[in-house]
Amino acid sequence: MSQPSPEVYEQGKGMDAHNKVMREVRSRNDASYDPREPTRVWLDEDNTPDGFVDSLTIILNTGGCRWARAGGCTMCGYVAESVEGGSVAHEDLMTQVDACLEHERENADSPADQVKIYTSGSFLDEREVPAETRQAIAETFGDRDRMVVESLPDFVDRETIREFTEQGLRTDVAIGLETATDRVRRDCVNKYFEFSDFEDACAEASAVDGGATKAYLLMKPPFLSEGEAVEDMKRSARRCLAVEGCHTVSMNPCNVQNYTMVEDLYHDGGYRPPWLWSVADVLEDTADIDGIVVSDPVGHGSDRGPHNCGDCDDRVQRAIKDFDERQDPSVFEQVSCECERTWEAVVGRERSYSLPLAR
Amino acid sequence: MTDYFEVHERDGAARLAEVRLDSPVTTPALVTDADRADGAPEAGVARPVLSDAGTGWTTEPGVPEGDESRLTVLPARGFPAGTPEDVQDAFAPEYPTVEFPSAAVVSAGTVADHGTDAYVLSGAQGLVGHARAFVDAMIRVRETIPPDAGLYLPGVATPANVATVAYAGVDLVDADRAVVRGTQGRYLAVDGHQFLEDLDELPCACPACQQPREEFGREECARHNVNALAAALKTVRRRIRDGRLRDYVEGQARHEQWLTATFRRLDQQYGYLEERTPILRQAEITAATEDTIRRVEIQRFAERVTSRYRNRFDNPLVLVPCSARKPYTDSQSHGRYHDAIRWRAHKVSMTSPIGCVPQELELTYPAQHYDSVVTGRWSANETEFVASVLEQYLERNDYPRVVAHVPEDYRPVCERVEERLGTEFTYTVKDHPTTTDSLGNLAGELSGELKYGKRERQHNTVRAIADYQFGERAGDALFDDLTVRGSQPGLQAHDGDGEQLAVVVRPYGTLAFTLAGARHWVESDAPTTRVEIDDFVPHGSVLAPGIVDADESIRVGDEVVFEGPSAFAVGRAEMTGPEMADSTRGIAAQVRHVDERD
Repeated sequence: MSQPSPEVYEQGKGMDAHNKVMREVRSRNDASYDPREPTRVWLDEDNTPDGFVDSLTIILNTGGCRWARAGGCTMCGYVAESVEGGSVAHEDLMTQVDACLEHERENADSPADQVKIYTSGSFLDEREVPAETRQAIAETFGDRDRMVVESLPDFVDRETIREFTEQGLRTDVAIGLETATDRVRRDCVNKYFEFSDFEDACAEASAVDGGATKAYLLMKPPFLSEGEAVEDMKRSARRCLAVEGCHTVSMNPCNVQNYTMVEDLYHDGGYRPPWLWSVADVLEDTADIDGIVVSDPVGHGSDRGPHNCGDCDDRVQRAIKDFDERQDPSVFEQVSCECERTWEAVVGRERSYSLPLAR
Repeated sequence: MTDYFEVHERDGAARLAEVRLDSPVTTPALVTDADRADGAPEAGVARPVLSDAGTGWTTEPGVPEGDESRLTVLPARGFPAGTPEDVQDAFAPEYPTVEFPSAAVVSAGTVADHGTDAYVLSGAQGLVGHARAFVDAMIRVRETIPPDAGLYLPGVATPANVATVAYAGVDLVDADRAVVRGTQGRYLAVDGHQFLEDLDELPCACPACQQPREEFGREECARHNVNALAAALKTVRRRIRDGRLRDYVEGQARHEQWLTATFRRLDQQYGYLEERTPILRQAEITAATEDTIRRVEIQRFAERVTSRYRNRFDNPLVLVPCSARKPYTDSQSHGRYHDAIRWRAHKVSMTSPIGCVPQELELTYPAQHYDSVVTGRWSANETEFVASVLEQYLERNDYPRVVAHVPEDYRPVCERVEERLGTEFTYTVKDHPTTTDSLGNLAGELSGELKYGKRERQHNTVRAIADYQFGERAGDALFDDLTVRGSQPGLQAHDGDGEQLAVVVRPYGTLAFTLAGARHWVESDAPTTRVEIDDFVPHGSVLAPGIVDADESIRVGDEVVFEGPSAFAVGRAEMTGPEMADSTRGIAAQVRHVDERD
């Protein structure tokens, strides 16, 4: 974006419009949250390069993403769940971490091998999480095997990652790349960085022994048809795993979150979350790639989450979870439903000017 | 420039047109992708002419390849329903000028004239089911894109909605929704949809349905849905050719609430429909629903009778009921009324849904072109409509007295008008208007009145039609010095020197000018509808490209004068004035007489 050209001007215009709309949409939300409580914490299991392990997953309330305050991504409502007024103090963040450890002690037999920390922003951004806090958190979880921290590529720095690896933690930076297609990321998602920034971040993370990245992809941002969304994911998964230092692709099917542009489209009949068959199709198609491809559909089976016809949603979701664990595409041969025919018709027919063809 | 689309027939906002590909497509048409698989449910049923050049959301749009065998949808970012206006503005597409048949993707918010042959309306999923949004979008789009461009509404057509959608002005639809609904086990028909599992027999004679019920699955259901959609479109095309789509829609749209709401809301957008509705037709209006009252043809007649027409007789007014037979004069009942009246009063027929028909306008469209349902039971709306027309009529026209020779069921209408105007009618009917007693009363009531002569009657008829057709006082302005020859209904208007100016056209009850009449019209104070043409001498059909400018008020069926450097001519419009001015293709008018200029 260094040379002024009509295309750059177009990019700016589109982004300005998205940001203006998203600021307006978010301003309808007047809820605020306690800075001393994490947004969410739960226990689950994940496929990692070390195998299938227990995870402690934390969404820290850090005041949220600075990009989202400028407007931000068209599908992301997490900023709405962040704290009012912006930043959260070191003491409050550590209180949140303590609450998460307490949750783990109460609900798990033993400490999880892996700890994943998301902030709905960038954990590595020091304006969100001060260096002092980051250090303290690295030490707190130094007894675990692996850390995953969420960040935009801008903040991925080998020195910062070393703070974690020095604790003996294998460290993955989870980057919300959303798609490998710059045009889709920019115009549909409204994210400002490019695939080359992701590649740079991968290089930076993997420069540290024990450091690597996970790419988080978004299946079916607004404005794409079902078929375009599926193709975008297949292509993106391949491109990401071809980058040195990126060992895992986690594909999130878009869901309809409150106070987002996607929600406005959904209410007016212009958005349908992806079919679970689309998720299965991408996982099956990319199973041959050297690397891990997983998906954990949130809100599956509901109108606002990825869904099929209502009859088969739980069965297909189980197959997806099974694939996440074993990476065996034959799991999808075990599920079928009459609605596959509808999904095939939608994938083959839907266009950006005719979507959605089915609810 | 529209090179590959041409409108042939108009019926309100609906059109019968042609996508001028190597193998032409007659619209409203069911179309599909040019490369649609042979086994697809619409294969062999929908015309495979669409070529989608890809979305601008994933790739930088380039200029696609195209050719004259297909309609290429130029790459663009489609805007789904709910896309904020700012975002639409920021991503509004720009289209290259191409030499092959092309369509531009637009939304109701960003629609503009892109010089393509057709337009694809994105976001339709948010419009169907919502009458107001749909009508607003249709009007906005139709009034922005050129009149001789096609409009494609993708992804929403069903057998039930396609007639109303075409009625609103859509030219092209696809089978996507019919197919998708079929795969979901929804059995579609013009009267709505059924769950396939609830059908113990298939209520259809299409090929897909000719097999045992237990072998009929969702794939067959998709094929049936496409067949039903294609058949519905055939009905629509036939109806447009006949000028009778509205009659069909009034009945068929009732199967879905939003469709009924859509045609009613279109009636409320009177300007949009009025501009597109011809002033004359041969086809009959089936006045079988309350909604017929809101039709342009009915409203326009009432409006012209109460604002353009003026009674020129000095005699009393006799109000009589309409007759089933048209023109009324040909009916037995009106024959008897006439025998009692014997040119001693001015006869005005009261009728639902037309309102009031003065005797001079009994031939004039649609006065002899409708048939209503007569039960003797008037609805409140009918009573109010006819009463309000009669009230306005009497406010404008003075009569020495009003004799109401009407049956019992017309009395509430008359009484309402009497009360509002503070006048009293004389009632002459006992039991029935055609009984000897009733007719005797009527004749007796007029016993002291003088007869008007044939000359007065014929002059007043020609002038009344001129008022109705051309504007208030046009009858006097055009025919100040008048001689009438011929006999009813084929009256010929001549000037004092014997030069013929016009003739009453029997099927429509309108005036058609001679060349001398046209010159006289142009020189008169009567409102003239003019078309400015290029430097050529028109014969037969005048094509749109030859037209430089045209009065906006021109409607299909109107008399028009053509003026150009080489010719002066008169004829009848086949397009509206705005269409003549903005179209690049199509027959704009038929010339009747032409005079070459030196």
